[in-house]
Amino acid sequence: MAVAAFLAGQSFRSDVMLRFENVGMRYGTGPEVLRDVTFLLESGSFTFLTGASGAGKTTLLKLMFLSEPPTRGLITLFGNDLATTRRADFPAIRRRIGVVFQDFRLLDHLSAFDNVALPLRLAGRGPDAYRHDVEELLGWVGLGARLDAKPATLSGGEQQRVAIARAVVARPDLLLADEPTGNVDAEIGQRLIRLFGELNRLGTTVLIATHDRSLIERTRAGEMRLVDGRVIELRTSRP
Amino acid sequence: MISHWMDREGPVLPRETSAAPLDVVIGVMAFLAALSLGASLVSERTAESWRSGVAGRFTVQIIPPLDGTHALDMQREVESVVALLRATPGIMEAEPLSDADERSLVAPWLGNGALAPDLPLPRLVDATLQPGVRVDLAGLTEKLKTIAPDSVVDDHTRWISRLKRLADAIVWSAYAVLGLIGIATASAVMFATRAGLAAHHEIVALLHQMGARTGFIARAFEWHYFISALVASLAGAGLAAAFFVAAGGLEQAGLEPVAFLPPLGMHPSELAWLAVVPACTALIALTTARLSVMAALRQIY
Repeated sequence: MAVAAFLAGQSFRSDVMLRFENVGMRYGTGPEVLRDVTFLLESGSFTFLTGASGAGKTTLLKLMFLSEPPTRGLITLFGNDLATTRRADFPAIRRRIGVVFQDFRLLDHLSAFDNVALPLRLAGRGPDAYRHDVEELLGWVGLGARLDAKPATLSGGEQQRVAIARAVVARPDLLLADEPTGNVDAEIGQRLIRLFGELNRLGTTVLIATHDRSLIERTRAGEMRLVDGRVIELRTSRP
Repeated sequence: MISHWMDREGPVLPRETSAAPLDVVIGVMAFLAALSLGASLVSERTAESWRSGVAGRFTVQIIPPLDGTHALDMQREVESVVALLRATPGIMEAEPLSDADERSLVAPWLGNGALAPDLPLPRLVDATLQPGVRVDLAGLTEKLKTIAPDSVVDDHTRWISRLKRLADAIVWSAYAVLGLIGIATASAVMFATRAGLAAHHEIVALLHQMGARTGFIARAFEWHYFISALVASLAGAGLAAAFFVAAGGLEQAGLEPVAFLPPLGMHPSELAWLAVVPACTALIALTTARLSVMAALRQIY
């Protein structure tokens, strides 16, 4: 299964999850952070996004999870051309995306349980409907005994696991993660990658930004490398 | 019944601890609004009681001659006037005011001390009409002039219309004050909401990022300000109600808390009207917060 490929003049296909065409991005009047970025992610793919610090990984992720609009170019997500999609439809599109932020972005006043439950609340599910799912997932990431703990009382690794659980709890169609194993030990890191793999097998398209080469080598996932704001290398997943 | 798990669903926004200044502003606004509303209710009731007190009645005034003589003539004129009035169809009752009653009428201006016996006071005859009956006062005045040339008929129309204008002015002033207070409250809440949005920018941005609808985020803010405004305005309106109750208590004890003003004591039904103030204040806060948040969220991609 191909996980990513340059478009090279391909027409849009229904199994394309995400497509970038000549996308450029600059902040204010600064230099372009991303230049002529063109690629597509197929549905059900598992891809690593690599590149040196400052290469534009986080900016590329922000464009993918609709945090920022591109300065130029075309982004198509779930079959929606974002330039012509109504703003009122953005929340529904965003709810189909799970995001693991590099700085976790947990809500400090909420418990681990409530932080993880947040996407389900936003989807309109009540506490009785999501309680079991949230507890089970927190148990799976090793935080079954810390349901009521506030983020401030959790270690960096524990916070990261809460952030990951929050990103995957609603079984998103697209999972984007920025250095999701950066603060956990190797064992937990492997466990989290297995979680992402399991989610991928269930149909979620996964893209993980990382510096960790060993993580990439241990999997059969594809790789997309950013250098100076351009995608310069693309490797499809190995069978 | 709220389930155990419902209890565990934490609020999307942290509970504010720095909203005290807004609460104070809203509390003071509600106090002033309740005072205005109470004043308008008291004015309306007082004007109505005065109006109903003089409606259906008129007074014939017999002015003493300037030469200061003919006291006997005046008494005869009074008796003639009373006789004519009693014989006029539609007039239920006609009674001359006693000397003591007349003196008590001028007492507020001239004091209770003994008036000079030769002080020329007009004689008054109070007439009460039968309910629903109209009397030709112009014709009656002409007839009265023939038997009492110095008589003047006062049907209180001028007094009532002035009283109505005064009451209307007080009521509309109170409404204007209520409107201004509403605008001020909305402005204060708008300012506080923007400050709240700035303070919780990261939470709002995260919720927005996770696909929260504008209404979901707005609800988190609007309920916060709704509750806050409701509590503060209940306190303000409660204080105003206490003021009116205390004023009523003082009046019942024979004291006049504010000189020259009509009685400030309010009936229980009027006090209940003051509940409109916290209800409206809370709704203004809720609506303003919602509109402010939605306007701010429209600026985010």
